Amino acid sequence: MHSDLMKVRRDLKTVRDPYSGNEYVVVLPVIPDVAIIHAAKGSRSGEITTDATRNDRLLAMAAKKTIAVVEELVEPEDVLPGRQEVFVASVHIDAVVLAPGGAHPTACPGIYETDAAHIREYIAASKDEQGFAAYMGKYIFAPEDHGRYLETVNFRGGKQL
Amino acid sequence: MTKPNISNQSVQPPEVMIGAISRLLRDGEWVATGTLSPLPAAAALLAKMTHAPHLTTLIYGDPDFRLSEGFHELFALAQKGKIDVFFLSGVQIDKQGRINLSILGDYDRPTVRLPGGAGSSMLSALVRRVIIFTTSHNRRLFVPKVDFVNATAADDAPWRRGGLSHVVTPLCTMAFDGTKKEIVLESLFPGVPLEEVISNTGFDLAIGERSIPVMNTLTDEELTMLRGPVQERMRLIYPQFAASVWGS
Repeated sequence: MHSDLMKVRRDLKTVRDPYSGNEYVVVLPVIPDVAIIHAAKGSRSGEITTDATRNDRLLAMAAKKTIAVVEELVEPEDVLPGRQEVFVASVHIDAVVLAPGGAHPTACPGIYETDAAHIREYIAASKDEQGFAAYMGKYIFAPEDHGRYLETVNFRGGKQL
Repeated sequence: MTKPNISNQSVQPPEVMIGAISRLLRDGEWVATGTLSPLPAAAALLAKMTHAPHLTTLIYGDPDFRLSEGFHELFALAQKGKIDVFFLSGVQIDKQGRINLSILGDYDRPTVRLPGGAGSSMLSALVRRVIIFTTSHNRRLFVPKVDFVNATAADDAPWRRGGLSHVVTPLCTMAFDGTKKEIVLESLFPGVPLEEVISNTGFDLAIGERSIPVMNTLTDEELTMLRGPVQERMRLIYPQFAASVWGS
């Protein structure tokens, strides 16, 4: 309440709690039109398992539509969360896309790490318009499909490659 | 796994900071560390293996720290009052213990726009003690007044549970004086001249006539634990940090 966010964020309001009488800050809920999350495993019926240290289940439950990109398609009975994973029921998922390596250049925990060299390349390229355009041309527009993209970035992570 | 030969190395600056933070943690506390916080993570592990065996450590990125749903649970734990200690840093920190993580300059026309405060506003109010850690100590960081306030050290909000406890930098530890509501110099790290701290801090550290103690060097027990089991766990949680301190 004493942070400067109250000065610059006009959507933040205060209300008096009718129970304690205390003044609290309230925010509107975030309701994304579409959430795209990346998950380790999913099935054709739409349930998935995803990393428990992120907030992907909350995101899927909040969004109007959720697309889950998965590393691996398995039978519904095999969608079981691992030690650092959570289960997300199919009622929260509208589409499942099979794309091993789909989290690149970021990590898919437990399967592959962040591609730090690629991210450094992106940061260097994005310092000016020309470099950014060259990056987009090489990695985003030139590869015809996801497989070609993974070849272009020399991806070595996923289970199925 | 081959162990790097670090037993004979002199104590390095990050190790001193880890030791200083560790000593600030009290047995029985629930201590949580967020993202990009290798120094506090190592300090929490060290404290648990030395003077605070009943510490509960909630270390983001630690394979042993399991959540049932997502990282937002950490915020819920803070709301419930279960987190005693949390760690924050800042791009600017001022004498009143306020931190800035949002912008440099004017908010609408900033010279630099930073990643933002994340949960700092809320966590600083709902945990019992905040320890600020910094990886540098200069006048750009320690300023008379922050350009933007993300989190305050203390205020009179009725729902506020705690506030700033200490600040640990590469040169010294500072404490937050809850009566005067300001940061004061508490101890110098071994080999750091008082003048170096004064000249690199952009506000008065309320030294007055006080003689500022020098922090005791890390004990053999602390160093053994830090370079043994703590170092091994840090290689899982923060591999790049571990390699930078203890070699790869």
